[in-house]
Amino acid sequence: MIQSVKKSICQLAPKQGGVVQSFSNDQVGSKLMTMGMLPGTSVELVRYAPFNGGCYIKAGKHYLALRRDEAQCILLEG
Amino acid sequence: MTATKLMKVALLGNPNSGKSTLFNQLTGLRQKVGNFPGVTVEKKSGKFVLQDLEIELIDFPGAYSLYPTSKDERVVVESLCNPEDENYPDAVIYVADATNLEKQLLFFHQLRDLGFPIVLVLSMLDIAMRDGLDVNIGLLEKELGVRIIAINGRSGEQTDALKKLFYQELYQANAPSTPRLAYQFSQVENAVAQQIQEIFPKINHYHALLLAHHYKWLSRLTTEQKNKIEAINQQHGFVDLKFQIRETMQRFDRFAPILPKILKISGGERSSNTEWLDRFLTHRLWGVVFFFLIMLLTFQAIYTWASYPMDWIEWVFAWSSNQLKLLLPDAWFADLLTEGILAGLGGVLVFIPQIAILFFLISILEEVGYMARAVFLFDRLMQRFGLNGRSIVALISGGACAIPAIMSTRTIANPKERLITILVTPLISCSARIPVYTVLIGFVVPAITVGGIFNAQGLVFMGLYVLGILSALISALVFKYVLKTEGYSFLMLELPEYRMPVFKNVLLTVWEKVKSFILEAGKVIMLISIVLWFLASYGPPRQMEQARAEALSLAAAENMDDDATQDLVAARQIETSFAGYLGKFIEPVIQPLGFDWKIGIALITSFAAREVFVGTMATIYSIGSSDDEYSIRDRMAKERNPITGEPIYTLGTSLALLLFYVFAMQCMSTLAVVRKETGTWKWPAIQFFYMTAMAYISALLAYQFLG
Repeated sequence: MIQSVKKSICQLAPKQGGVVQSFSNDQVGSKLMTMGMLPGTSVELVRYAPFNGGCYIKAGKHYLALRRDEAQCILLEG
Repeated sequence: MTATKLMKVALLGNPNSGKSTLFNQLTGLRQKVGNFPGVTVEKKSGKFVLQDLEIELIDFPGAYSLYPTSKDERVVVESLCNPEDENYPDAVIYVADATNLEKQLLFFHQLRDLGFPIVLVLSMLDIAMRDGLDVNIGLLEKELGVRIIAINGRSGEQTDALKKLFYQELYQANAPSTPRLAYQFSQVENAVAQQIQEIFPKINHYHALLLAHHYKWLSRLTTEQKNKIEAINQQHGFVDLKFQIRETMQRFDRFAPILPKILKISGGERSSNTEWLDRFLTHRLWGVVFFFLIMLLTFQAIYTWASYPMDWIEWVFAWSSNQLKLLLPDAWFADLLTEGILAGLGGVLVFIPQIAILFFLISILEEVGYMARAVFLFDRLMQRFGLNGRSIVALISGGACAIPAIMSTRTIANPKERLITILVTPLISCSARIPVYTVLIGFVVPAITVGGIFNAQGLVFMGLYVLGILSALISALVFKYVLKTEGYSFLMLELPEYRMPVFKNVLLTVWEKVKSFILEAGKVIMLISIVLWFLASYGPPRQMEQARAEALSLAAAENMDDDATQDLVAARQIETSFAGYLGKFIEPVIQPLGFDWKIGIALITSFAAREVFVGTMATIYSIGSSDDEYSIRDRMAKERNPITGEPIYTLGTSLALLLFYVFAMQCMSTLAVVRKETGTWKWPAIQFFYMTAMAYISALLAYQFLG
């Protein structure tokens, strides 16, 4: 599995950023794309929710709330 | 002026695009709220006349594209991909928020390819400009080949000018007459779409492609048609997700390069207030603290503030009922009018203050953009119980009253999570349980102080609330595993920029909620209230007359005053009424709980609302002219079992009764609202039975072990 080597956005520490390379799950990916997060979009993991909850992500100019397993599907460049 | 031409216009756009504000601005109070066919997705529509044109504007749920991931978004595709659908529009008004244009053009682009005449409305242009964003509208019109109407901000000005513009634009709105699609199909997509067009000759190429994507769930298709499309897809090796991504990417590639020419950012990007506010409002500690403060305020508002108008409403109804009784002759129809209809009407209207206040606060939070943050904070916690981040608002409001709380679940997008929230919310102890708890708690614990500071009764009171909360969460967990899951549940929520609320939107929401409660749930509440009145006031005529005569002669023999005589008559009559018979009829069932038939009568009448328990107890024990909780408690303490001479209200019976009221679905109004919100009697029935079962079993255990 090549994909498992790639870094997902969940591996970032809060306030760290990266550039979206691809999505490991097409269903999640296609939904994220309609919300403005595309391969090539620069993203930042802003913070995590309490209770071991989801991620607050800045994608381009938008702010999104994603569950961890959803965010796990966002693979970053490099 | 009479309109000669009727035009159906769909209002479409992304969530948070300012679509609802435009809708409210154009239709105001002339809105109709219903459901889309076959689903419980709310449909708002409104009509207005423009010269010779009558426009029916349909406000569709916000959607990001024609590839739906929720029930709300599916509705859009169901209607737009079916020329026979009652909501199939003649033209589309597409609303896009100018501050955030790029991603909103995707859906626009798709709608255009579907062949609808379309007008683009750019909202919040002033906010965009304030943020240093300059939109070249002329160039955007040219690039997209569409007429654009720019509207400023979210306030309700310039409505007439706006309507005039729509009149011109919708007539001129140019549908692409030749199917020159913006999307360039791949070979496979081409072949598939062509073959599907052979089955449906009237639809365009892109429409056909959408059928290939969505055929599995589109309700317009017959099984035979579905099979045909599936065969075509297989023949060409059509993989829907792959092509969906191809299409999305290509569309973004088409308009991404032109955007820098259209959107000019001057003076650098402002650091937004939103980021700054969210540092606090979505903070893992302070965010949660702030949320609970907001909820405390909400709770306080529906609990305390609402009690004043509620008291007025009750007073007005009590007063007019008394006045009517004096005016009307002493006959059955006077009773029906005062005790049945007027009491029922009062029972409906008394909920209005709570509903209005809760929705006033909730829709402000929604308008400001805060609700999405609350969902973000509590999603994970609530997920564990099969609930949604938004459920927490319903659960907390349920502490005041389950009715507005259940109505507030509309915004939970996932149907299963919404249903579970509706099913468990009435377990949270509402304000109507307080009088019942107050009367009974004295029989369970004495008013002593424990540990130096705590009042024992206060502790038990709190324990009952905790019991309600725990049982709601545990029931939710059970429903999570019992109910079947429809599709994949996403969070994927946009956190919109914080904005000032538009008060017109807030007030329209309040108005709409109050109206729909009165019209829909109100009917059921009225009906049940009349039935209950009938049961409690009528019985076999001869026995009723006899009971009355006996009571009167007894009163005369004992030299009772007027009030006491009337109380005695009322007590004897309720015993011989149909409700009394029912109470005796169910006695064998409730005896294991330590309840006698008198309690049985109170259980039946308090189905109208829990607090009726206290009033019925007062009537039964013939102290009807007093409804003070403490005098009722004193009277109940004296009640003895006629055979054994033991007190009726022992620890066991009282505890069993308390537990019964913690769990039982003793509220017809809640059931009526659940019926309204779920669209079927199935769920209120299930709710009634599971809650009554919980109530019965816990009361049984309490009485058998402690009684």
